[in-house]
Amino acid sequence: MAQIAQTIQRSPHYRWKELGLLIIPFLVLLVAMTQLLLANTDPRSSLNTSNLPTIQGLIPVFGLIAGLLVTNVVFSIFFRKADQVLLPLAGLLSGLGVLMSTRLGPDISPPDGPIPDLGSKQLEWVLLGLIICIATMFILRNISALARFKYTFAALGFLLLLPSVIKGILTFKSNAPARDVLAIPFFSLQPSELLKICIIIFFAAYLGENRDVLAQGYLPLGRLRLPPLRQLGPLALMLTLSLLVFLVVRELGLALLIYGLFLSMTYLASGKLSYVLVSLAIFAVLVFIAYGILSYIRVRFLIVSTNVVDWSAASESIYQNVLGAGQIVQGLIALSSGGILGAGLGLGHPAGRFFVPVVQSDMVFTAFGEELGLAGLFAIIGIYLLIIYRGFRIAVESTDAFNQLLAAGLTSIFAIQTFIIAAGNMKFIPLTGIPLPFLSYGGSSILANYIIIGILLRISYNNAVERDGTT
Amino acid sequence: MPALQIDSFLLILRLLLIVLLYLFLMQVVIAITRDLRKSAASSEDASTRLPTVIGHLVVVDSGPSNILPGTRFDLAAQTNIGRGPTNTIQIPDNFISAEHTRIWFRNGSWYVQDAGSVNGTYVNNKPAVEPIPARPGDIVRVGYIQFKLAQ
Repeated sequence: MAQIAQTIQRSPHYRWKELGLLIIPFLVLLVAMTQLLLANTDPRSSLNTSNLPTIQGLIPVFGLIAGLLVTNVVFSIFFRKADQVLLPLAGLLSGLGVLMSTRLGPDISPPDGPIPDLGSKQLEWVLLGLIICIATMFILRNISALARFKYTFAALGFLLLLPSVIKGILTFKSNAPARDVLAIPFFSLQPSELLKICIIIFFAAYLGENRDVLAQGYLPLGRLRLPPLRQLGPLALMLTLSLLVFLVVRELGLALLIYGLFLSMTYLASGKLSYVLVSLAIFAVLVFIAYGILSYIRVRFLIVSTNVVDWSAASESIYQNVLGAGQIVQGLIALSSGGILGAGLGLGHPAGRFFVPVVQSDMVFTAFGEELGLAGLFAIIGIYLLIIYRGFRIAVESTDAFNQLLAAGLTSIFAIQTFIIAAGNMKFIPLTGIPLPFLSYGGSSILANYIIIGILLRISYNNAVERDGTT
Repeated sequence: MPALQIDSFLLILRLLLIVLLYLFLMQVVIAITRDLRKSAASSEDASTRLPTVIGHLVVVDSGPSNILPGTRFDLAAQTNIGRGPTNTIQIPDNFISAEHTRIWFRNGSWYVQDAGSVNGTYVNNKPAVEPIPARPGDIVRVGYIQFKLAQ
C-alpha cells in the first residue's frame, strides 16, 4: 500500500480526470441504492426486506465502487496514458446493470426465481470483467501480433461454438430459438460472445492487408466493380460460415450482428458505397429465403406486425397464441407506464408472474424504461453514444490500418448490438435475444464487453505512447 | 405522515438520479471537447514545426536482398517499412513482411517498433517488439537488412 502511495506521489499525472469522471457514477449508484432500500420499506412496492435483504442492496453498490477505484489505481500505475473516459462510461453502465439485477432478482417469477442475490452475482461478473480488462491490457503488448494469428482466432472461435452446433443440429426439428451455452465446470459461458471478438480480429486483419485491392476493385459486374475473388473469397467464406452457424444454433440476433459488422468494416476499409449496397441487396434476398424456410422467423415478423395501439381480435389472438408475443406486448406496456420520469427504481412492476418474461437479460431495456422513464433511457443511450464516439476516436488516432479497423470494428459491436436489442424491445424490428451491452444480466456478455474495452484502452495507450514517447 | 415523508423523499431521489445522469453526460462531453482542443493544438504545432524529411536510413548490410549498401531512405515523422504498397519505404525482399517496421520521431527521439513481421525488427540487436528509442548512429535491422539511423 505504501508503495502504491509512493508511486502516485512520484508521478505528477495520476489519472485525475478518470477519477473525477467516476465521482458522479458513484453518486448515481449511492442515490439509486438509497432509493431501492427506501422502496423496500414502502408497502406499495413489490420489494420488502424478506425478499431483498438490506445487505443484498449494499453489497453490489459498494463492491462495484471499490472495484472501479482499484481499477483506476492500477491503470494509473501501469497505463497512465490510456483513454480516461471509457472506464467511467462503462463503469456507470455496469453499475446501472448491477442495480437493475439487484432490483429484478427478487421479483423474478418461479421456476427461475426469485433470486434475492442476483445483484451480487452480476457484481461478481463485473469484477471478473474488470480483472479480465486489466489482464487483456497486460497481455496485448503488441496489438499487431493479433493480425498474424487471424486464421487461428477464426478457427478458435468456431471450435468454441462446435458443441452448440452439434446440439443445434440434433434439435433442429424442434424449430424453437435456442441459447448456445457451453457448460464448463463452475460456470457456463456463451461462446458466441467470444466468437464475435474473434471474427472482428479476423475481419480487421484481412481487410487491413487487402484494403488496397478491395478499394480499387477490378472484377466488373455490370456497372459495379467488385474485388477479385481471390481477395473476396476468405471474407465471403467466413461470413457464410458464421451466418450458417448462427442459423443452426438459432441465434438470429448474432447473425444480424455479424452481418452488420461485416458491412460496416468493409465500408470502413474500402470506403466504397457499392459494396454496402450489394451486401444489403444480398441481405434482403437472404431474409426473404429464411422467411420462407424457417417458421420461427415468420413468427417474429408476425409479432412485429401486431397492432398494439388499436387492440383488436387479431392482436388478442396473436397475444394469446404466439410464443414470444406476450413478452413484446408486456414490454411495451412497461415502457408506456414508465412515462417521462419513470416509476422510480423499485416502484414499478417490470418483473413478475404476469409481467415481462426474461426481463433481466433480453428485455432489460423495458425495465429501465419503466423505472427510469424516457429521460433515463435517453441518458443511457447518451452513454452508449459517448462510448461509441470514444471508440471511433481511438480508431482515428491510431496510425496502423489493422489497429484502426480493429478499434472501429469492436466499437461497432456496441453500436449494432445496442440497436438490435433496443429496437427489438420496442417492436421496431423482430426481437432477437442478444444482450444489451453492460446492462443485461449475464456473465459471458459482461466478460466479452470488458475484453473489448480492454483492447480499446490498450490501442489508445499504444497511440499515446507513439505520440508522446514512452512513460 | 411517515408515508407522505417517504413519498416526497422517493420523489426527490428519483429526480436526483435523472439529474445526476445528465450531469455525468455533460461532464464527459466537456472532458471530450477539452481533449479535442488539446489534440488539435498539438497537431497544429507538429505540422508547422517538423519538416517533411527529418532523418535517413542508410543501408549498411543488404543481406540477401539486392539493395546496394549505402542507399539512403528518407524518414518522415512517421515512416512505415515493408513489402506492401501502403508503406512509405517499400522493399521488395522475401524476408520482409507486408508491414514490417514502424519508425517515428517524437519529443526529440526516434522510436522503432516491429509491425508484426515474421523475421522481426532489431535495434542494436535488441528485438523491437515494443517501441524502442533509437538515436542517430544506431543499427536498425529489418529482416536481414541492416540500416544505420542518420540525421
